[in-house]
Amino acid sequence: MKAKSFQRASSIEEAYKLVKQSPRNKVVAGGLWLKKGGAEVDTLIDLSLLGLDKIEDKKDYVEVGAMVTQREFELSKLVPEMAREAVKSIMGPGFRNVATIGGSVYGKYGFSDVVTGLLGYKVDLVFYPEAIVSLLDYVKKPGFYDGILTHIRIYKENLKAFFKKVEITALDYPILNVAVTRGKEYRVVVGSRPLVATRCEKTEAYLNEGGKDFAKAAEMAVEELNFGDSIATKGEYRKQLALTYVRRGLEEVSK
Amino acid sequence: MLVKFNLNGLDVEFNVKPGEYLLDTLRANGVKSVKKGCDGSSCGACIVVVDDKPVLSCSVLTAQVEGHRVMTVESIQEEAAEISEYYSRHGADQCGYCNAAAALMIHALKKENPNPTDEEIADYMVGNLCRCTGYHGQQLAIKEYLGGKK
Repeated sequence: MKAKSFQRASSIEEAYKLVKQSPRNKVVAGGLWLKKGGAEVDTLIDLSLLGLDKIEDKKDYVEVGAMVTQREFELSKLVPEMAREAVKSIMGPGFRNVATIGGSVYGKYGFSDVVTGLLGYKVDLVFYPEAIVSLLDYVKKPGFYDGILTHIRIYKENLKAFFKKVEITALDYPILNVAVTRGKEYRVVVGSRPLVATRCEKTEAYLNEGGKDFAKAAEMAVEELNFGDSIATKGEYRKQLALTYVRRGLEEVSK
Repeated sequence: MLVKFNLNGLDVEFNVKPGEYLLDTLRANGVKSVKKGCDGSSCGACIVVVDDKPVLSCSVLTAQVEGHRVMTVESIQEEAAEISEYYSRHGADQCGYCNAAAALMIHALKKENPNPTDEEIADYMVGNLCRCTGYHGQQLAIKEYLGGKK
């Protein structure tokens, strides 16, 4: 990767100052997408000394530091099971020991298994300078937040959860991701369409008002979503997959 | 920029570019056991172990390992020789290009989970591609190697 300098920030204030100095200064989380994306950077800003690598139990929520690796996340008993499951199937451990949760979330990549899984929960993102944004608002709003993502808060809820990743081989990008949860309310998430995951809010409203026809709910979900083509497959195929897996997910969490 | 880390038990210091990857630094300094396969974080041939965790060295910046412990197959020669016995017994060994990285993965797996199930072995090795023998023989070899250590 082309970069003019590499700086290990000694405080979050210093890191943010570097971010603000130039749009060509980039935070390195795990660094995987910076490489794949072929970025040309002035200053690479490393956050590894800032203590953002912890997963902590905070009573109402579990707080995950942005620099926690995907592998640490999937192995942590503090993290809810379906969110861990969504991460476990990403590439091999050599990849997941490098990729960070913060990088995956901040980048809100279309193919993100991480974001799909997390949207099944109530999740807040904590930024520096101080700001808290819900993950759902963050993925719905175009563009990136002007700040450094420091923590991800996953609220504790008693819920049943379903996750499905459809991929051609274990090392491919998913061609569809589906997460469905049911606690006090239903959440229906579809990602890799190939656009970034989002919740099907009209479908959720139908279910939360007592709608029990899951086949109809799946049809509503694909109606409110947009599906696109990519090299791997056509939007129409993704739509058919979503119809099946949203219905199965709903059946699974309603048992 | 100067980067210092521990490589196979020795403290080393390399002058690298800020955007240089660990794989390139290691190979430029004679550690040719680390292979440049896809250079795209997919094939696993470039695996090294940093602080007991296997990582893709094609995707880790050299500057990121400042102060850390980096291990390549050179530091587990006896174990790698033993693993290769099991590999050859199961016909899991052919051109050898991916073997050094596979040996490091198996070393890390043994430390992390000394008694893995078949599924756990397959999940751990999924990111290490082999284009010669296929994976069935490797799976059997790893299972027998770890089983034999009980």
